[in-house]
Amino acid sequence: QSLEPLPMSGPDFSALGEEAELVEVEPEAKQEILENKDVVVQHVHFDGLGRTKDDIIMYEIADVFKAKNLIDVMRKSHEAREKLLHLGIFRQVEVLIDTCQGDDALPNGLDVTFEVTELRRLTGSYNTMVGNNEGSMVLGLKFPNLFGRAEKVTFQFSYGTKETSYGLSFFKPQPGNFERNFSVNLYKVTGQFPWSSLRETDRGISTEFNLPIWKTNHTLKWEGVWRELGCLARTASFSVREESGHSLKSSLSHAMVIDSRSSSILPRRGALLKINQELAGYTGGDVSFLKEDFEFQLNKQLIWDSVFSASLWGGMLIPIGDKPSISFNCMFYLGGPTSVRGFSMYSIGPQSEGDYLGGEAYWAGGLHLYTPLPFRPGRGGFGDLFRTHFFLNAGNLCNLNYGDGPRAHLQKLAEYIRWSYGAGIVLRLGNIARLELNYCFPMAVQSGDRICDGVQFGAGIRFL
Amino acid sequence: AAEPWPENAALYQQLKDEQILLSDNASSLAVQAFLQMCNLPIRVVCRANAEYMSPSGKVPFIHVGNQVVSELGPIVQFVKAKGHSLSDGLDEVQKAEMKAYMELVNNMLLTAELYLQWCDDATVEEITHPRYGSPYPWPLNRILSYQKQWEVRRKMKAIGWAGKTLDQVLEDVDQCCQALSQRLGTQPYFFNKQPTELDALVFGHLFTILTTQLITDELSEKVKNYSNLTAFCRRIEQQYFGGHDKDSSATATARSAKRSLLR
Repeated sequence: QSLEPLPMSGPDFSALGEEAELVEVEPEAKQEILENKDVVVQHVHFDGLGRTKDDIIMYEIADVFKAKNLIDVMRKSHEAREKLLHLGIFRQVEVLIDTCQGDDALPNGLDVTFEVTELRRLTGSYNTMVGNNEGSMVLGLKFPNLFGRAEKVTFQFSYGTKETSYGLSFFKPQPGNFERNFSVNLYKVTGQFPWSSLRETDRGISTEFNLPIWKTNHTLKWEGVWRELGCLARTASFSVREESGHSLKSSLSHAMVIDSRSSSILPRRGALLKINQELAGYTGGDVSFLKEDFEFQLNKQLIWDSVFSASLWGGMLIPIGDKPSISFNCMFYLGGPTSVRGFSMYSIGPQSEGDYLGGEAYWAGGLHLYTPLPFRPGRGGFGDLFRTHFFLNAGNLCNLNYGDGPRAHLQKLAEYIRWSYGAGIVLRLGNIARLELNYCFPMAVQSGDRICDGVQFGAGIRFL
Repeated sequence: AAEPWPENAALYQQLKDEQILLSDNASSLAVQAFLQMCNLPIRVVCRANAEYMSPSGKVPFIHVGNQVVSELGPIVQFVKAKGHSLSDGLDEVQKAEMKAYMELVNNMLLTAELYLQWCDDATVEEITHPRYGSPYPWPLNRILSYQKQWEVRRKMKAIGWAGKTLDQVLEDVDQCCQALSQRLGTQPYFFNKQPTELDALVFGHLFTILTTQLITDELSEKVKNYSNLTAFCRRIEQQYFGGHDKDSSATATARSAKRSLLR
C-alpha cells in the first residue's frame, strides 16, 4: 500500500454533467414565434467581479455570443453559468436575459447579465473524513481565486485514528480549459500499519499535471518523498526491523483514467479503466523500481433494479539496478474488507513472524450482484441508500523470480489463488464512500494468511 | 534464557569504512571485546541503517536467536541470564566500584567523544557530516546529519556541556584517564587477574581514541600520557583480537582509513 496525501485537487462541486439538467422550455403557441426568431446577443454584462481577471471569464462565456435564437441563448447562458460555478471562484451566479436598451440597440438585440458573488478571500472548513477503514478530523484553510484566475491555495491538517498529516497545495487551472491544470503539493503524512508492525512517516513534495485527451484523463506527476520507517512494536519481526530507517524516493508517474460510470460509488452502468505506472530512481533518490498497476470495473443494470458488477485489479513491481531489495512499503498488499473479503486487512501473501511484507505482483478480481433490500423498506427515501450485495472475490499476491520469463510469472500468480464468497449490505455515503457489512466464507486459505470469516465490516472509497 | 548461545549470533553496527563515528565505534568495540572475553562467538554485520534498526536507537545491538538487545549494559544482563558472566567473582564492594567506573567512562569519555564529534565546528564540517550522511543521497544526507546534530546539541545543553570549550572537555578527558590509570596501576586488568565488563568498556573507548584519526591529535595525546593505559590496550588487543581473522578484529577497524598507533 502507499500513503496517499490528502486529496486536494480541483473544485468542490460535483462533476459537471452528473446531476445537471438541461433547462428545457416548453414552447407554447405564442412563444413558438420567439423560438424561431433570430436574436443577436449584443452585450454580456458582469456584476460583482472583484479580483477575478477578465480573460478567464471571457473564455467561459464566449459561447453565449454565438447563440442564434432565444432558446439557444438560454441554453448557452445556463452552460456558461455551470462552467463559472465549476471554476470554484463564485458562490453564486445568476443570469438575466433582457432586450437591449440604448442607442445602438438592434430590434432583436439581447443583453445577458451575469450577477456573480465571489467567494471570500479566505475560508476555513472542518470536515470528518472516512478513508479505507479509518476516520479522521480535517481542518482546512482555503484561499480561492488567489490571483484572479481561479488559482487556489489550500492548507489542510488531518488528525485521524491512525495517521496525522498536514499539507499545503497550490492549484492552477489553464484559463479557458479548467480540466487542464497543475498543482504543487507539500505534505507530511504519518501512518501505522499493524499488519506489518510498521510505522511510516513521509515528507514529500509533488507536482502534478492533469490533461484530458479525448475521453481519457491523464495525470503526469513528479514526486520526491523522504520516507522514514520504524517498528510499531518491540515484537516486530526482524525482517521488518531490517527495513527501519530513511530512504529517499524520487519518481515520475503517469496515470490514465477512462471513466464512463454513472457514479463512482455503486454505479448502475458504465465502465472504469485506470492504468498507472511509476518509475523511481532516475531523478535522484536511492530507491529504483518500475511499478505498473491497473484497475478495471464493468457495471451492467439487470432486471428488477439489480446491478451486476465485475472488477479486476493487478500490478507488478520490478526493481531496477543492483540494489538488493525494495523496501516493502512500495510493495502491493492484498486482503481485507476493501479487497479480497473474508481475509484480514492486507493479510495475504509473504509474511515473517506474523508481519505481512507485501509482494511484487498481484491480481484480484470480484463479481458482484447488487439488489435492492428485500421487501424494499424505506423505498424512495432512506432505503435507496442501501443495497444487498452478493459477491465472489479471488486474488493472489506473490514475489517473482525476475530471471524467469512471463510464462513462469503467470504460473506463479495462478498457483495459490485465494478466493471467497458471501453476502451483505452496502450503504452509500453521498458520492464519496461506502460502508459494507458482509458475511464471508474465505476459501483456499494458504498457511500464513489471516482470515476474517463470518461478519466483516468495511468502510472506504475504493472497493474490489 | 535457557537456550544456548547460537552459532549465528550477530552484532550490528554502521558501515565500518565510510560511515561509523568515533563514539559508535567505541561502543561497538566494547561489546565485541566483552563477548570475546566471555568466549561467545559473534559476527559483525555492518548496515547503514543500524542506528534505526536498534530498539533503543543506539548501536551496537546484537541479534541472538529471536532476541534483539542493544547497548553494553543490557547486553551484559542478557548474557548473564544465559549463564555467562565476567563479574561473578567480585564481591559487593568491588561490583559497586566497577559500576562507578563504568559510569565514569560513560559520563566523561563517551560524552567527550560526542562533544568532539558534534559540537566542535571544525570536526563537524570535515569529518562528522560527510561520514554520517555518506550512505544517503542528497538532500537526505544533509537533513539527517543536521537532525542528529541538533539532537546531540540539545542533549549537551541538558547536561550542561554546551557551555564548555574544547580545552575544558580535553581537561575532563585527562582527569578521567588519570582516575582510570590510578585504579589500573600495574595490574593486568582492573580487578587484577580476570577481565570484567569494565575492562571491555575502557578498552573499547581508549583503543578507538588512540587509533582514530581526527583533525588534531589532542584527544589521543591525553590518553598517551598514561603509559599503563596504552599498555593495557595493547595487551587486550593482542590477547582477544590478535589471533582472529581480520574481518572481526579490532585491528581491522584500526587499519581501515585510520592510523594505528600501536604498531
